[in-house]
This record gives sequence, C-alpha cells and structure tokens, in this order.
Amino acid sequence: MDEEPRIGVFVCHCGLNIAGVIDVKAVTEYAKTLPNVVYAEHNPYTCADPGQESIKKAIKEYKLNRVVVAACSPRLHEPTFRRCVAEAGLNPYLLEMANIREHASWAHPSEPEKATEKAKELVKMAVAKARLLRPLEPFKVPVTKKALVIGGGIAGINAALDLAEMGFKVYLVEKKESIGGHMAQLDKTFPTLDCSICIEGPKMVEVARHPNIEIISFADILKVEGFVGNFKVKVRKNPRYVIEEKCTGCGECRNVCPIEYPNEWDEYMGVRKAISVPFDQAVPLVYTINRDYCIECYKCVEACGPREAINFDQQPEEIELEVGAIIVATGYDIYKPFDDPVYGYGKYDNVITSLEFERLILAAGPTGGKVVRASDGKRPRSVVIIQCVGSRDLKKHEWCSGFCCMYSLKHAIMLKEHYGEDIDVYILYMDMRTPFKGYEQFYRRAREMGVSFIRGKASEIVEDPETKNLYVRAEDVALGEPIEIEAELVILATAAVPAEGTEDLARILNLSRGSDGFFLESHPKLKPIDTPVDGIFLAGACQGPKDIPYSVSQGSGAAARAATILSKDEWLIEPIVAVVDPNKCRNVKVKCGICAQKCPYGAIKIEEGKPAQVVTAMCHGCGTCAAECPADAITQMHFTDAQIFAQIEAALEENPEEKILAFCCNWCSYAGSDLAGTSRFEYPPNVRIIRVMCSGRVDRDFVIDAFRKGAGMVLVAACHLPYDCHYISGNWRMKERMEALAKMLEKLGLTPDRFRVDYISAAEGLKFAELMKELTAKLMEIGKERIKAENQKLKPILDRMLARKGL
Amino acid sequence: MIRVSADFAKEVKKRLGGETITNCYQCGTCTSSCPVARVTNRFNPRKLIVQSLRGKRDDVLTGEMIWLCCSCFNCQERCPQRVEIADLIYALRNIAISEGNVPNIYSEFVSALYSEGKLVKVAGFTEKQRENFGLPPLKKPDVEAIRAILAETSFGEVLKVLEGKE
Repeated sequence: MDEEPRIGVFVCHCGLNIAGVIDVKAVTEYAKTLPNVVYAEHNPYTCADPGQESIKKAIKEYKLNRVVVAACSPRLHEPTFRRCVAEAGLNPYLLEMANIREHASWAHPSEPEKATEKAKELVKMAVAKARLLRPLEPFKVPVTKKALVIGGGIAGINAALDLAEMGFKVYLVEKKESIGGHMAQLDKTFPTLDCSICIEGPKMVEVARHPNIEIISFADILKVEGFVGNFKVKVRKNPRYVIEEKCTGCGECRNVCPIEYPNEWDEYMGVRKAISVPFDQAVPLVYTINRDYCIECYKCVEACGPREAINFDQQPEEIELEVGAIIVATGYDIYKPFDDPVYGYGKYDNVITSLEFERLILAAGPTGGKVVRASDGKRPRSVVIIQCVGSRDLKKHEWCSGFCCMYSLKHAIMLKEHYGEDIDVYILYMDMRTPFKGYEQFYRRAREMGVSFIRGKASEIVEDPETKNLYVRAEDVALGEPIEIEAELVILATAAVPAEGTEDLARILNLSRGSDGFFLESHPKLKPIDTPVDGIFLAGACQGPKDIPYSVSQGSGAAARAATILSKDEWLIEPIVAVVDPNKCRNVKVKCGICAQKCPYGAIKIEEGKPAQVVTAMCHGCGTCAAECPADAITQMHFTDAQIFAQIEAALEENPEEKILAFCCNWCSYAGSDLAGTSRFEYPPNVRIIRVMCSGRVDRDFVIDAFRKGAGMVLVAACHLPYDCHYISGNWRMKERMEALAKMLEKLGLTPDRFRVDYISAAEGLKFAELMKELTAKLMEIGKERIKAENQKLKPILDRMLARKGL
Repeated sequence: MIRVSADFAKEVKKRLGGETITNCYQCGTCTSSCPVARVTNRFNPRKLIVQSLRGKRDDVLTGEMIWLCCSCFNCQERCPQRVEIADLIYALRNIAISEGNVPNIYSEFVSALYSEGKLVKVAGFTEKQRENFGLPPLKKPDVEAIRAILAETSFGEVLKVLEGKE
C-alpha cells in the first residue's frame, strides 16, 4: 500500500476524565496541522457506539486509510478500535493510539496546560507512527489433527484417553517396556488406600484397546521439528527381540528361560528372567529379551514354537510422526541418597527408600507382601520413617517434593494396619504437609492409630554391627531434647527429581527448565500447563512433583489445551512477527547466527551460506532479534525501526533537553506507567513513552538516535529480572546490550545518569511515578546547558555511528 | 539424649481418659490456655504430653507436673484435635498413684475423706460464723456410706496403696 496516507485523528473526552484536564479542542485543532492528517474530531466517548460510528463514517467520508485514536491506553481499547476500523473496511493494523488519559490527564491533573501540550505531542508521535503503518494479515497454518503424548504414566494416560475420546488420533510414546509409570509400582494410594494397579490397570488396558491411541513403547524421541499444528517427530523403537504383533504374552518363553537378573521395576530387590515382562499387568503385554544377560540358549525360541515371535536380529526402527500438538508427561525419578553419609543408604542393610518399601509391602512384590529386613529376613518391630531426605535441603534439592508426607503416612498406617500394637512406627518430620481433600484427616488417622510423630531431622544413623539395628539420632523439637530411636528398619522418604532424560528432551523440544531442572511452564499461575512453545503442553510431575489426583487433572487439562489447537482446521498467528530481509542478512557471506542465538523461542533457523529464516509460527514477536541483528536485516512487523525512529523524532522535536524518552515494554513497565495514571500518582509531564512489546526490542540505535536528537535522558524499562519477562529472556538480552552501550556512551562523555535501565512491574505504578520524579530532579540538577553542551559534542560521533548504517 | 519408646503412650492410650493422647500434634493451644502455665513454667501440658509420647515414663509419673493441673478444662475445651487433656492428666495421676507416687497433700485429702467424709475439716470458727449469718449447721456426712462407695470404686485401690505407703 503505497498510496498517500490519509489520517483521521479522533480525540476522546472520556467524559471529564480527559476533557476535565486537557483542552481537547486545542488538541484536535493541533492534530489538523500535522502532516497527512486530513480529518480530526473530538467525541465525548470514542469507545461508545456513537463514537465508533463516527470513526466509521469518517473513514468512508474522508477516505481515511489510517486512524489515530487519542484516548486511553492501547492496553485497554486497542482491540476495540481495531475491530471498529476493520468493520469500516480498514486493515486493523492501520490503527494507532495516543494514550492521553493514563499518560496525560490522569498523570498531570494539576498542570492542565502542560498536560495539554503533552497530549499534543503524544498525538504527534502517534501520527508519525501511523504514517508508516502497513496492513498486516494474521498468518494461517494448517493443523494436523493428531497428538503426541510423551510418557505413559498416569498423567500421560489421562491426556491420551481424553484426546482419544474427543476423536483425535494419539501417539503415546513410552520409554520403558510398559506404560503405567510410577503409579504401577505402588501398592496402595493415599488417602483412600485403594490398590494402585487395581485402579490404574483398567486405564492402561483402555489405552491399549482404544482405536484412536497407538502405544509406541520401549521407544525414544530423537528429534522434533516444526511448529504449532505441524510438528514432525522422529521416534526410535528399540529392539525387544520379540515381534510385537506376534507375541501373545503367554509367558511360555519366560518359564524356560534359565537366566535371572535384577528387576528395575522391583527397585532391583526382585529378579526377572532374561526374557520377560517387568510386571504381569504390563501394557502392551509384549516380552523383551535383555541381551546384556541373555546367553542365547534359544530355549525361548523353542518354547515360542510356531508363533515365531522371537527375532534375535531385530534392529532399532526409526519412525516419523506428524502431529499438531505435543503433551509432555515424562514424570519424575526418585533420588537415591547414596551420596549422603547421614543415612547410611547403600551401606546399612536395613535402610531403604520409600519406593523400595512400596515393593516390599506389595502382595505381588518380591517378598510377596511381607515386610522384612534385608539383614536377616525378619519382620521389623520398630520402623523409623525419615522425611525430606534430599528435599528442602540447599545442599541437595531445594524444593519440597510434595507427596512424601502423604505416602509416608500411608506407609505408617499400612504397617499399623498389618501389625497393630506389635509394631512401633516413628515419623521424623520437619513440617507435615497435608493440604488437599481428605489428606489432613489421613494424618489424624495415623495419629489415632498411635504412629509417633517427632518434629526433627535425623542427624545421623548408627548401625549395631551385631543386630543390624539402627540408632537414629535427632532433636525432638517439641521436647527440646536430643533423642535416639532404636529402629529395626529405616525408610527414607527421598526427593522427587526430574526424570532422567529431561535435559535432553528439553533440548529436543526447545523447552525451558527451571532452576530445579523440571520443565518450566509459561506462567506459574495463569498458564501452568502451557510451555513457551506454542502447541507443546505439560502434564504431571515433569513440571514439578505432583501426586496422582493432581497429575490426572493436569493430564486432562493438557488434553483440553491441546484440543484448542487440534479442534481447528487452521491456526491463526498474530502478524507482529520478525521478518528477515534476505538481501541484508550477513549470514549469506559470513557465519553470523546472532539472531538465532538470542531468540528466546528458537524460532530462527540458520544454515551456513543462507539467510536466517524465521519460523513464523514459532515467533512470539518480542523483537529481540530485530534489535540484535548487526545488519539491521530483521524487521519486527508493526514495531519497525522506521516507525520507532519516527516516534523518537516526533517526541524530541521541541525542547528535547527537557525530556525523558522512555522505552517501555507492553506487559510490565508500560502497564506500570498506565497504573501510575490510573492511581492518579502525579509525576512531571516531561516523559514521552514509546511502547514496544518487549524491552528486548530496544535497539542500541534507538538510544543513540535519541541522544543525537538532543534527548535530556533516555530510559529503558523492562519486566523484572530474572523471570518476569513475558518473552522468557528478552529483558536479559536488553540488559546485556544496554550495559555495553552505557559504557560506550560514558566514554564518549555522556553523564551516566542521563541513560537509565530500570525494571517496573505492572503493579508498580508508584515506582514508575517516583522514578519519573527522580529522573526529572536529576535532569534539572545536570542542567539544560550542560546537556546541550554534551549533546553538541556527542552529535557528530553519534551521527557517524548511525550514518554507517544509512540512518 | 533420651532413648525414645512408644510403650508408655500405648499404656496411657489404654487407660480411661488417656485414649486421645496420640492425637496431639503439639500446637501448644493447651499451654497457652492454661492459667497455671501463665504463672509458672513448672506446669506445661503440651510438654507433659510429648514427654509421655516419647516414653519418659519416670519423669512424668514421679514429677510434680501432673499434680499442678487445676482442672479448669480450658485446654480440653480449646484443643483443636480433641485431645482430652484434663482427662489425660487424671489418667496419668491414676497410674502414678497406683505406683505409690503421690504428693503428701493428696494423701492428706484422701485420709480426711476417709475419716471425716470431707476433704477439708470444718473448723469450729466456721460453724460459729454460719450461726452468726443465720445459716443452718452443716450436715454431718454419712462417713460409713462414703467409705462404702470408696471401697466399691477403684478408690479402694488407691487407699490400699496409700496405706502401704504409710
């Protein structure tokens, strides 16, 4: 669209909210004098129906091809006015707003004249940008209506079943031989003491039988490419040496196999045959030969006979899946405290983990459900359960593992139920955490049964070399004395840690992990299931320790989130994305790839000798790449360099030395500046704010240009470090960039106080107002003359710096 | 350092009044509600419970703490876990007495009850005062009946212990 811009400006009174302070007539008259403005009017309420009708009418009558609404914050009504201009046949991205309410009338009510002057300049900045606006269309990508669920524990099982029930094809990829996850290892479940496999088993079978679900077990995810709606996944099926389609699960091969090896499923306390299933309820019920142990006697081949299910030549098989959405449900592992000398785990026979205890008390476990000691096979008469082993410990794992209090209560209750008065159970705890439905009642039940709860952490365990009994030492905090308990068995409730392979999978999927190593959600409150990568969701303990009900809910939640994509034929992507000019990109000639390195989403692909490529569907539109590109080859649509330079110029045309030019990110600092207005915190009216989506967008050139145009001060305001950035790490990139720039500007003779980077949250209206007061005071202190002198000295150098880039 | 044992807790739990001892989660509502604990740190019901739970049998039964409860029942009224603390203290006292651990003042009360039918002897002065106020003279308790009741209830056991002690 290269036709001459015809801009209409609509100034809103907002009742008296704006008109009570600002001379809206004067602003309207001023707007008429601006280049390309062919029409201007003012309305009592522009957002109301008559106001919107008036805009639509003017668009038709005056053939407007750009609209500027001078009213409230774009964070409030930009969507309203975009819809309004679209209804009049204009592309919605040809609208620009001037925020004369939050940033002028509400922020400077006691200085109406200055507020009016500021409003005029805000309109001038908006018009300057509007002249350069281009129509944009949302991108449409087709959606493959299939899903991949990674991990077949209880969360993944529920996610798969829900999606399958909605009618979507689901691939459920499981690393181990059977689905079921940790839940299938457990004896009972708290707080109802239902048998775990009795409630999970039917679900596992349902997964196997469901026509929409394909289980791909004993398999690894190798590679994931693509984007929302269009992922390509490479999976390796590891050889079982048993042909899945031919194995009937009869077990005759196992019966003749002469070799046994420790069974991981039994926490290595039991054994399995070299050809076997890990447990009898395994799904799929397909046998696997462990070649590390198999002696190749081929008795199994003989036993299998005409079924011919055994194939010693089986090779790994790579398959490719196409899916529209991915649910990650890879769960957790249990920490084994071999490295902690306090507990003697691995050294003392009668110190075990809670998961080992599950296998001991389980009727189908290696001891047939008898709780016995490894040292002598006798049933223990006193048991000490120690909480928080490796959890809530800065030297091990910082977090609370969440479900240990509850399963330890379960263990204590089960021991009391089995052996009554004939067993003493002590729980050494730091805090008992029993927050969900029925959990506190479960805790009380344990106390009623006579379980001893002792607040205190074990400091050491000493073994009696003869009896192999254990002396557990701690302080009883309630008693205020050091204590010792003689235990015949010690159970350690150890930390839940990220599952093995989480790091690799994070790399393959381009997902972030928290400092704890678990997958990081998009937002801890409002997007607990989403990841920063569109189309990939989290369920269950891979995001942090979760118990069964929580994992089940998240599985269903993730299925619902995935269905919001899978249910559509096309997925729309907001066009505020990065676009590379292949003619300018340096990567064609030299190895560059800075953009790909800095992109928080991994949305830019680099191939040697070729221009960088933005995968539009993965781009979130922060603009960090556009700011980082050394060749200025990247444009962020709707926040282009040219548009922002035009805003800078308009803001600094008059009395630049008195002004603070602020770049504020949409989500935090701009919202903070809005809140300052909404809260009526008055501050000096000399700040001019340019809104960017992310502080990562703020190019060095913007700051340099502002100073060469004479700005008194420049502020770059961002979301708080370390985790508040809405684009993962845009604020960090900005910080690195601006720190280097600040050093350079100081060397060139700029008073350091004139360039500021700060962090303001959406809740910090007061901080914004106070900062404006502080900066203005500093500006006055430095003095207009000194600023002018500095700028004069700087200008030729800055001019040269920008001239090199043709600016 | 003490060696922890759950045996005493099990013993107490079986006694009338002691059934709820293991419900305690050591919040301290009892102690902060206690009018005795407010004036002396020689009495602390929460601590009495944890000592019992950890098996400090001798300390609990021979110590003075169980005898300092004034039976106001504030603790029992306020306990969020329905531990019957005052009743529990009676249970502990009963065990203590059955083993001959009883402060002298309690023995004196008991012998007064046995011989006079009253815990406190009424002095001649008090009788006179009643007369001055126009109150009727106090009825003489039926000592025989009281002794019969004492003998029939487990108080008889207590008496035997006390006699043995004397």
